[in-house]
Amino acid sequence: MKIMICPLNGPRNISEFVYGGQVKAMPDPQSVSDVEWAKYVFYEKNDIGVVHEWWLHSPSSYWFIAERHNASDEIIRTYPADELFQHRIEFTSNEGET
Amino acid sequence: MSTNLNMVFESPLAGVHHNGHISIQDYTKKHRWGLRGKGAAEALRTQGWDLPEQPNRLVSSNNETLVMALSQREFWLLDPENDALAVAMDEDFITDAYPLFCQDSHAWLVLKGHQTSALMAKLCGVDLRPETFKIGDVAQTQMALINCIIARHDLAGDDVFSLFVDQSFAEYALEALLDARQEFL
Amino acid sequence: MKRLKNAHFGLWIDSSQTKQFTFEGKPVQGLEGDSVASALLANDQWLQSRSFKYHRPRGPLTLCGYDANTLVQTPITPNLLADRLPAEDHLAVTAQNYTGSLYFDLSRLLDWFGRFLPVGFYYKAFFKPRGIWSWWEPIVRKAAGLGTSNLSVKAPYNDKTYTFADVAVIGAGPAGLNAALLAATAGAQVTLIEQEPHLGGSMNYHAFDGDFGSTKRERDALVAAVEAHHNIHVLRSSTCNAWFGDHYLPIVQKSRLIKLRAKQTILTTGSSEQHVVFRNNDLPGVVMCSALDRLMRLYGTVPSAPVVVLAGNDLAYQTAFSSQDAGANVEGIVDLRLHGHNTDLVAEAKRRNIPLYQGCGVYEAKTGWFNHRLSQVDVYQLDKTGDATEKLASLDCGILAMSAGFMPSYQLACQAGAVLSYDDTTSQFQLSNLPKGMHLAGSVNSVFSLNLVAADGRNAARQALKNLGLEPASDNSESEDVNCTQQVNHQWPFLKHPKGREFVDFDEDLQIKDIVNATRMGYRDIQLVKRFSTVGMGPSQGRHSALPTARLVAKTTNRTVHETGVTTARPPLMPEPLGLLAGRRFHPLRRTPLHHRHLALGAQMMPTGSWQRPAYYGDPPQRAACIQTEVTAVRKGAGIIDVSTLGGIELRGPDAAEFMNRLYTFGFVKQPIGKTRYAVLTNEQGVVADDGVAARLGEHHYYVTATTSGVDQVYRDMLRWSVQWRLDLDIANVTSAFSAVNVAGPLSRQVLERAGCSVDLSSDSFPYLAYREAMVAGIPARMMRVGFVGELAYELHVPSPLIGDLWDRLLIAGEDIEIRPFGVEAQRLLRLEKGHIIVGQDTDGMTQPNEVSLGWAIARKKPFFVGSKSVDILSKSPLERQLVGFELDASSSQPKEGHLVIRAGDIVGSVTSCEYSPTLNKIIGLAYVHPQDSTPGKTIVIRTDGAVHVDARVASMPFYDPDNARQAL
Repeated sequence: MKIMICPLNGPRNISEFVYGGQVKAMPDPQSVSDVEWAKYVFYEKNDIGVVHEWWLHSPSSYWFIAERHNASDEIIRTYPADELFQHRIEFTSNEGET
Repeated sequence: MSTNLNMVFESPLAGVHHNGHISIQDYTKKHRWGLRGKGAAEALRTQGWDLPEQPNRLVSSNNETLVMALSQREFWLLDPENDALAVAMDEDFITDAYPLFCQDSHAWLVLKGHQTSALMAKLCGVDLRPETFKIGDVAQTQMALINCIIARHDLAGDDVFSLFVDQSFAEYALEALLDARQEFL
Repeated sequence: MKRLKNAHFGLWIDSSQTKQFTFEGKPVQGLEGDSVASALLANDQWLQSRSFKYHRPRGPLTLCGYDANTLVQTPITPNLLADRLPAEDHLAVTAQNYTGSLYFDLSRLLDWFGRFLPVGFYYKAFFKPRGIWSWWEPIVRKAAGLGTSNLSVKAPYNDKTYTFADVAVIGAGPAGLNAALLAATAGAQVTLIEQEPHLGGSMNYHAFDGDFGSTKRERDALVAAVEAHHNIHVLRSSTCNAWFGDHYLPIVQKSRLIKLRAKQTILTTGSSEQHVVFRNNDLPGVVMCSALDRLMRLYGTVPSAPVVVLAGNDLAYQTAFSSQDAGANVEGIVDLRLHGHNTDLVAEAKRRNIPLYQGCGVYEAKTGWFNHRLSQVDVYQLDKTGDATEKLASLDCGILAMSAGFMPSYQLACQAGAVLSYDDTTSQFQLSNLPKGMHLAGSVNSVFSLNLVAADGRNAARQALKNLGLEPASDNSESEDVNCTQQVNHQWPFLKHPKGREFVDFDEDLQIKDIVNATRMGYRDIQLVKRFSTVGMGPSQGRHSALPTARLVAKTTNRTVHETGVTTARPPLMPEPLGLLAGRRFHPLRRTPLHHRHLALGAQMMPTGSWQRPAYYGDPPQRAACIQTEVTAVRKGAGIIDVSTLGGIELRGPDAAEFMNRLYTFGFVKQPIGKTRYAVLTNEQGVVADDGVAARLGEHHYYVTATTSGVDQVYRDMLRWSVQWRLDLDIANVTSAFSAVNVAGPLSRQVLERAGCSVDLSSDSFPYLAYREAMVAGIPARMMRVGFVGELAYELHVPSPLIGDLWDRLLIAGEDIEIRPFGVEAQRLLRLEKGHIIVGQDTDGMTQPNEVSLGWAIARKKPFFVGSKSVDILSKSPLERQLVGFELDASSSQPKEGHLVIRAGDIVGSVTSCEYSPTLNKIIGLAYVHPQDSTPGKTIVIRTDGAVHVDARVASMPFYDPDNARQAL
C-alpha cells in the first residue's frame, strides 16, 4: 500500500485518503459556452505527465492538493489547498438575488 | 442556551470499565469542549490556556485539562476530572472562533496498560509504539475501519491512550478493542 | 532408515520427544522438530501425493515447501504442504488428488492416456459446441481439483496486525543474518523474516567449502548475535508473501497476517535449486541436492537405499560427500559437465571411492511396477550439445539427488518492478531496476561463496543505512569487494526421451514436448506460452519451471534466454489461506443512542447503510399487521420515529447565507430567521445529489439536514467548495452531535404539550415549516415543523447524549393517547403516500431536477449554484423520462423496485418505489416513464416478476391528502 504525505497529518497509508478528482479551474458560468462548460465538467487531463489532484484525508476531513505522475504513480508533492486558492471567488449577475 | 443535564446525560457505553492488563474505560461523560476558526488560538490564549506548539499535539494546561490541537485552528479541551455539567446548544458564537460539538458527537475511551500499543497495532495502521508516538502526540486516523482520534498522554500518573470515536460507532469500537485485547488478558 | 542425532546431523529434531500422527489412516511416528514430510520419509514413506493432471505418484522434491509434490490435507484444511506442516500429535493427514487410494489411484490411468491430453486440450476439447463446458466442468474439476474443502468447519480465528521497521530483512541465511546485524548495530530497527522455524538458511544443511563443522560454527555465532540483539525483531516460520508500494510487506505467520511497513527492504531470499529434465524425473526419490542435505542435516534421516548424485555444478559434490559421511551408500556422481571440473572435488570423490561419470546424464529413472519409488537410473554419455549418446551404466538407487543450478528467488523484487536478466554465456541471473530502498544480497544476487555472501549482506545493509541517514559502526563502514565467479548453473540440463515424461513443470505435469508444441503452435512470447500451456501457474508458481521453460522456448524459437525472458511475478509468493486474508471481520455498525431502547420495545432492526434502524416493532410473523398499526397511529393519533441517522450540517459565519445560496438550488439569502426551506443539492453535472431541510437559526447561522447516506459526501463537497471560494464560515458535520426524533400525527402537538414545551405550539405561533428552539421535557431542542409523512409533525433535534431521556419522556407523555414508535417500513409507506421522493432511491446518477418535478425548488434568478449551468443546459432539451406516481388495484400483481417500464416494446424507465397502501387500499408507487405518459390517467406497462406485464395508471400526486392540509394543521 502506498504512503501519501498529508500536509496536516504527515505520512499515512493511502487507504486513509479519498480521491477528489483533478484540480480544474471553473470557467465563468455566466459567459462560458455550453460546449466549454461540458468539457470542464466531464473532461480530465489524460496525457502522460504530472497531474494536480484533490485528495482528502478522511479522518480529519482535510482537503489538499497532490502533484502526481500519472504513469509512474509517484506522488511528487502535496501541499495545502490555500497555496492554490488564495482569493475569495465571487459570482455575479445582472439579475437580482432571491 | 445551557442547562444542568448531567442527570440525564447518557454515554452509548454506559460508563463501562473493563479491567485487566490493559484496561478500557469509558470517559464519554467527562467534560470537553472546543473552538475552531482562525481566531480560535487567540481566543483560547486570551482565556489563559496553554496551547500545543503544532497540530496533532496535546499539552496539559490549568489543572489537568488537556488541550489538543487538531489543526492550526481547531482545539479540543479535555477535562478528565469532571463530568459534563452543562450541555451547550452553542447558538452563540463569535466570528472566527466557533464552539465545537465534541462533547456530544464523540465517545471517549481510555486505554491503560503495558501493551496498549501492541493492542492498537491490531486495529490501526499508524505506528503507535512508544518510541515513535510520544506522550503528547495525537493522530487523526482510522481504527478498525472507522475514523478515530488517538492521543497519548499522562492521566493521573499513567501513560494512556485516549480514543475519540463517533458516538454512533462507540459500541462497535469497544467490541473491536475487546476482541483485540483477548490475547493480552 | 536410521536417524542420526549428533553435532552434524539431525540438528532440528529432538529424539527424546516423539510425535504420533496418522497418514492415510495409518499411524506414523515422528520426532519433535519433524515436518509431516520428514517424519514420513523417516518411515520410508516416499509416496505422499498425486500429481494434478496425470495422478502420477509424487514425493518431496525440495523438502522446504517450494514444490507442490507434498500437498496434503487435514480434516479441516486442504492443500497444506507436508514439508512445511509441523508433525504434531493427533494430526490426521491424508494425501489428496486421487480416486480410490493413494497407492492405487484409479485416475492414474490418465497417465497412460496422456497422449490424448495434449497441452491446450481443455481449451480445444470442451468449448465446442457452445455451452458444453457447463456439462464437462464438474467432471474435469473433480479429476483435476486439488484438496477438498470442508464446508462444515467453523472459521478459525485469524488476525491481522501492523508492525513497523527501519529495515526489513527477508531471509535469515548468511546474507540476511549479516545484513541484519550490521544494520541493527548502527541503530536501525530491523525486522528479520524467516520462512523456516530456525535461522541460518543454507548454513543449516550445506557444507560450505566441504566443511560442515566450520559452517555450523559460523552459523551458530551469527544466530546467537542476532538473537541477542535488541534492535532485531525476528519472525520465524513467517513468509513475506508480497512486496507492495512503499515497502508494505504482508507477512504470513500461522493464523496471523502481519502488515510490515519498512523504510528499507533487504532481499536475502536466496535461490531455488533447479532440477534436471529427464524421463521420470518426478519419481518419488528424485530430489534436489538441497532436499537430501536437509533430510540428513536437519532431520537426521539417512537413506538406507543407495544414493546417486546428478551434478550440474560443484555444490552437488558436497551432497554426495555429506551422504557418505552420514553413512549412506553413494553409488556414483553423474556430472553433466563435459569439462571444467574442480580437480579438488574430483580427487576427493576418488579418495572416497565414489564412482564418477563425467560428461554424463541420467537418461531415464525407473521404478518397479506399482512400486511408486525410484529403483534405478540409466546413465548415458552426453555429446557436445548435451544429448544422450550411449548408455554407460544402470545404477540401482533409491535416491537421486540433482542440482542443475540455482534460480534467484526473484519474485519479491520483480513484484516491485525489478527486471530479471540472464547472461547466456555464464548462465547467471541479474536483477536490476530495483525500486528505491530495496537491496539484494546473497544468492538472490548470484553470489554463492559463503564469505562473499556474508560481505554482500553487509554491503546491502550499508546501502540501507546510508538511505536512512545512519552510519555503520566505524570498524564496519567500508564497502567490501564482492566479485563471485562461482558458476552454479548448468546451461542445458535437458535429456529428451522418445517416450517423454521429462517433466519441466511438476505442478502442471508439463513435459518437454508440451512446451515445444506450444511454440510450434505459434506461441513465441513466454507469457503466451504460459497461458496456453499453464506452465508456472501451479502452486509453486514457476520456481522450478520458469528457467527450463525459458530455455526451451529460447531454443525452439532461435532466441537467447535473455531475449525470451521469464513470466511476470505477481503476489502472492506462496498460496495463502483465504481465512487469513479475511482476517478478523470488521463490520463497522452505527447505532443511534436509542438502539437498545428500540430492542427493548421489540424492534426488528434492519441495516440502512452502515446504520442499524428499526424496520418495525413486533414479531416477524405479524410484520404486516405491525406496520399497519404503526401507520394508523401516525395517520390517526401520534407516532414517534428515531431519525438520528439523518445528516446534520452546521454552517456558521458571515458568509453562511452566501454559501447556502451557492450550494443549494433554492434562494437562501433572504430566508427569514426561524424558518426552514427545502434544500436540493445538484452536483456540477446538474444531477440531484442530495436533499434536506435548511433552518435559519440566525443571521449567520444555518442548520441543514442531509440524507443518511449522503451527508458524508455533502460535507466533503462543502468543505472543498469552501476551500476554493475562500468564504468566511465554519462548516461542521454535526450528524452525530445531534440526534433526532420526529413526533408525527394529528395528536403530536398534544404529546409535546403534555411533555412540556417552552414555546407556544399553536399553528399561529409555530406554523408549518417554522423553526424554534425550546426546552421540551426539560431537554434543549431544535424544533422543525416538517413532515415527511404528511401529518402534523415536529422534528426535535437534541444533543445526542440527551435523546434517550427525551424519548422516554415523550413516550410517557403520549401514553394516554397511545403514541407508537414507528419504523422505517411504516415511514417509507407514509412518505410514498405523500409522493415524497428519497434521493438515492427515487433518483439515480443521471436524475436532473426536472425529471423529478423539482423545477420549483430551483431559483432561476440567482447568479450561481453548483449545478446551475448544467441545469440550464439540460433544461433546453426535452426530457427523456419523468418520475410519476402510479397506482394499481390491490388485487394486481405488485411491482417491485427495479421492475422495468415498457413502452412499445422498449424499456423507458423503471419502478423506484412501490408499496401496498392500506390507507388507500391500492398499490402505489413511483416510476420513471416516457414524458408523453406522465399525465395523470395515462396507462403505463410494468414488467413484473415472471415477465408478467401489468397496466398501471399514472396518478396525480400526492396520493394521500392532495391538498396538503393535514401537515399544516
